[in-house]
Amino acid sequence: MSGQAAGRYVGQSIKRKEDPRLLTGQGRYVDDVQLPNMAHVAFVRSNIARGKITNLDISEALQVPGVIAIYTGDDLNPYIKEYWHTMGGPRPALDDPSGAHPPASVLAPGDVRFVGDPIAMVIAENRYVAEDAAEMVIVDIDVEEPIIGLDMAVAHPEMKVHHELNKNFSGIMPYMEVPPVDEMMASAPHVVTRRFKQARATNVPMEPRGIIVKHDRGANEITIWSATQNAHEVRSFCARLIGFPAQRIRAIAGDVGGGFGQKMMVSRDEAAMMIAGYLLGDRPIKWIEDRRESLIAANQAREEWVDVTMAVTPEGDIMGCRVNFLEDVGAYPPGAGGGAGMSAGMFPGPYKMPVVIPQGTSYFTNTCGKAPYRGPWMMETVAREQMMDHVAAEIGIDPIEFRRRNIIHQSDLPYTTCTTLVYDVVTPEETLDQAMEMLDLAKFRAEQEKARAEGRLLGLGVGVYIEPSAIAFGILSSDQANVRMDENGKVLVALSSGSHGHSIETTMPQVIAEHLGCDIDDIIIMQGDTASAPIGPGTGGSRTAVIVGGACQTAAGKLKAKILEIAAHTLEANVDDLEVNDSVVSVKGTPAKQLPFAQIAAMAYMMPEMLPEGMEMGLEVSARYKPAGSFTYSNATHVCTVEVDPKTGMVKILRYIVSEDCGQMINPMVVEGQIAGGVVQGIGGVLFEHMIYDKDGNPLATTFLDYLVPTAPEIPDIEYGHIQTMSNSLGGYKGMGEGGAIVSPPTVANAIHDAVKHLGVHPTDFPLGPSQIRDLLVHAGAAV
Amino acid sequence: MKPAPFEMHLPTSVSEVVALLDEHGDLAKPIAGGQSLVPMMSLRLASFEHLIDLNGVSELNQVSVNGDSLRIGAMVRQSTAEHDPQIVKSAPLVAKAIPHIGHFQIRNRGTVGGSIAHADPSSELPAVALALDATIEAVGPNGSREIAAKDFFVSTWETSLIDGEILTGVRFPIWSGKCGFVVEEVARRHGDFALVGVAAAVQVDGSKVAKAAIALFGVGGTPVRASEAEQALIAGGTSADLDAVGNLAAMNLAPSDDVHASGEYRKAVAATIVARAIAKALKEAQS
Repeated sequence: MSGQAAGRYVGQSIKRKEDPRLLTGQGRYVDDVQLPNMAHVAFVRSNIARGKITNLDISEALQVPGVIAIYTGDDLNPYIKEYWHTMGGPRPALDDPSGAHPPASVLAPGDVRFVGDPIAMVIAENRYVAEDAAEMVIVDIDVEEPIIGLDMAVAHPEMKVHHELNKNFSGIMPYMEVPPVDEMMASAPHVVTRRFKQARATNVPMEPRGIIVKHDRGANEITIWSATQNAHEVRSFCARLIGFPAQRIRAIAGDVGGGFGQKMMVSRDEAAMMIAGYLLGDRPIKWIEDRRESLIAANQAREEWVDVTMAVTPEGDIMGCRVNFLEDVGAYPPGAGGGAGMSAGMFPGPYKMPVVIPQGTSYFTNTCGKAPYRGPWMMETVAREQMMDHVAAEIGIDPIEFRRRNIIHQSDLPYTTCTTLVYDVVTPEETLDQAMEMLDLAKFRAEQEKARAEGRLLGLGVGVYIEPSAIAFGILSSDQANVRMDENGKVLVALSSGSHGHSIETTMPQVIAEHLGCDIDDIIIMQGDTASAPIGPGTGGSRTAVIVGGACQTAAGKLKAKILEIAAHTLEANVDDLEVNDSVVSVKGTPAKQLPFAQIAAMAYMMPEMLPEGMEMGLEVSARYKPAGSFTYSNATHVCTVEVDPKTGMVKILRYIVSEDCGQMINPMVVEGQIAGGVVQGIGGVLFEHMIYDKDGNPLATTFLDYLVPTAPEIPDIEYGHIQTMSNSLGGYKGMGEGGAIVSPPTVANAIHDAVKHLGVHPTDFPLGPSQIRDLLVHAGAAV
Repeated sequence: MKPAPFEMHLPTSVSEVVALLDEHGDLAKPIAGGQSLVPMMSLRLASFEHLIDLNGVSELNQVSVNGDSLRIGAMVRQSTAEHDPQIVKSAPLVAKAIPHIGHFQIRNRGTVGGSIAHADPSSELPAVALALDATIEAVGPNGSREIAAKDFFVSTWETSLIDGEILTGVRFPIWSGKCGFVVEEVARRHGDFALVGVAAAVQVDGSKVAKAAIALFGVGGTPVRASEAEQALIAGGTSADLDAVGNLAAMNLAPSDDVHASGEYRKAVAATIVARAIAKALKEAQS
């Protein structure tokens, strides 16, 4: 079970190379880019969820000194040539029965469809003037009844957000009659049904969206600086959008302050910037989204209901499930916007479920669109892991024993789920064991009993999951590393990754230094600029360690092989007799016979006579890596203990324990940082964060006063345990970027449930803020 | 989130401030720490053509003890007040309220007078002023005057200051003897506006409660004094039924709903935290 021994670099908690720059305020984000003659943009946004624009008057605003141009939908929308994202593929026909993309527009096409819908864009000498003028744009809207919330969307299938479509959903998995399953369900000893609800959240990157578009008419070039996870997609999208030659577009992502999926695909506001920048020409335009815009109009996530019906034997063996995934994709998701399809596949998670019959619908509503957010399919784990506790409570067995009874063992591997996924190297049972050991279950149960006698409510929650990391199909299939050793022996690496805070400048040099044999400080990473970066999908889907790591490892190996060949020729030794330490090649057992990389590099570029016969000069290699499978599975068990105040409903997290298997860790500190960040987001989703709308479609959490992101005092020290089993991907790595956020919500919810279930309280809906918890206690007669 | 254009004035004396306010009338607003005003202006929820900056008015920075009262100048920073030895000794309830205000960066800029003059019903210091029967000092075009805290808070963000008047200081009575001072609140996160909170002070004499002061915040348009609960506590002494005291404090409240909690929640939890706060205050007084 144990991993390979840590190397000199791989497996070491090396301090982040990017930190000195970022922590001293010297990062270069979009807003740090200052171009000569640059103009600034402010959007006029709808404050009505749905209605026809009866009057849009920009004349007064145009008179404000410093205003350069004001564009409306009529000005920009006609320039749209194609509007689709590479990852989602071209848009389906308007009458496609299986789904739809929202109709293409970059500014409101005569009507508004959510509060925050961009109606006009003001371009001015600076942002202050742009906002002054934006206030003077006159917009009259004939208000219509909006579709707000899943309950309304489900209840009114006849209502449509988009009149251009013949349906109100972006995707559907229809109900399937499966007579044998239905008969089994009908006759099963225990059948439990629950509906679990996740509250709408938003990604909250520290750096909101931002984009600069510069159209140099003379050179016939467009340059875009964007806060994106994926510079290549910015370029490709822009080329399609306005029909501009892709080779004449350059997209640059400098430092990016988080995205969590929100910046994976180009958004409407950014597309509006592309068209406006193209039209204006020769005067670069910049839009920096402010926090209020970010909370209202940057794509959101998580508003989902999952209906689960689970059949179980009296002993606690799962017989099968029906699961219905309902999600709210808002008005303008990028593409179809839904995660239900992948949720269906992942529903069995770490358990042996003989059959799972999924269905699902992704409804449009008059709210901000849905985009990926760290584990976009995670409602399966949220529902399943809560369901495990609800079923256990219903049939009267311990929820941990119920999990153990159904969990996949080592002896079951490779295990093919009923949804046809094949788990090769996973350790759900082992992480559960390790987490329980870290917890000391017996001790906690004793404390819980003692506390209960004093009227205090302690609870323990467990969550187990399997993460389909390193998603590798379509444009996501592969990544590339171009590794160049220059004539000084220093290493420049161009990667297809798109760092938005993933420590890539540290972890990928660790892999390269390990496999090349050079000093880590001799390596510099270039990424995020389409002029230099190899093609790739950017960063998302927990891919970097596995896929970019595999590319780095392969490229480093190729480069090392060439270096050794040159060294062997000069040192008159066999390649097999050479070893590399600290950028020096030497003959094993004869350390005096050695050549430093710098000298070999000089030969490679400047001394053709020193190279083996027929060898190509130079030391530049590239490698593209695609993992063997479509996923590289990692897994973890999370454990949380809480105390619930029975009077106030306030939840205090006492301990948070994570046992994780992400294969060979490249940098344990980075792994733990990724876990921590995800766990905090998950805790937020249960206890704090709620992007709530009123019935008229007004967002009610439009500043950080009301949209509550957890802060340090709310978060306990997270305790980590690691199990390292080598994946079948190169290096043994497994991705783990999303798991923290995937399983923490049900873990926290289960802990709260465990604290109050003896009072007859069985929570199923997020958020579980103090008011909601107290209401549940009051309703159950457990509080007054 | 960029404010509309405004002109900044930098007076150095109270008389200059009053003159500027008189000159610009409704178009002017005094700015202290700016922790509430600046976000409102940046969100364009508020707009003023003239900001009168109080930060250069050094006469507003004083803390002094005069007989049985402590005076805190309007521009004393919250972070200063939290640790000022005279305040900690003479008005511990003020010092204890301050860690609940926002985060330290906010307290470094925010002022005692600014918080009271802003009169946010969820704020701690207005409730402390009300509980302790503080006296508000104001200066305006017609000279200076004093306003009792109970007459100062009118409704959300509204005080009895008249046009052209500024708050220059707050006087808190100094409690002596065996006292306990507690600020208790329920907030979604540390530093958030309280869903409901209470500032409480007791003075005990043996098993008697000689004095009691209880004010709630986050439960209505203004902080609310719980006089009946105070009377019940004084009547019941140190062994009073604190749940009953809490219920009395909450009995007449009618807080409203928001995204964080229902009015019903606030009312119920008000009773709970009053009882908890008094228990802690009695314990402190008796120790």
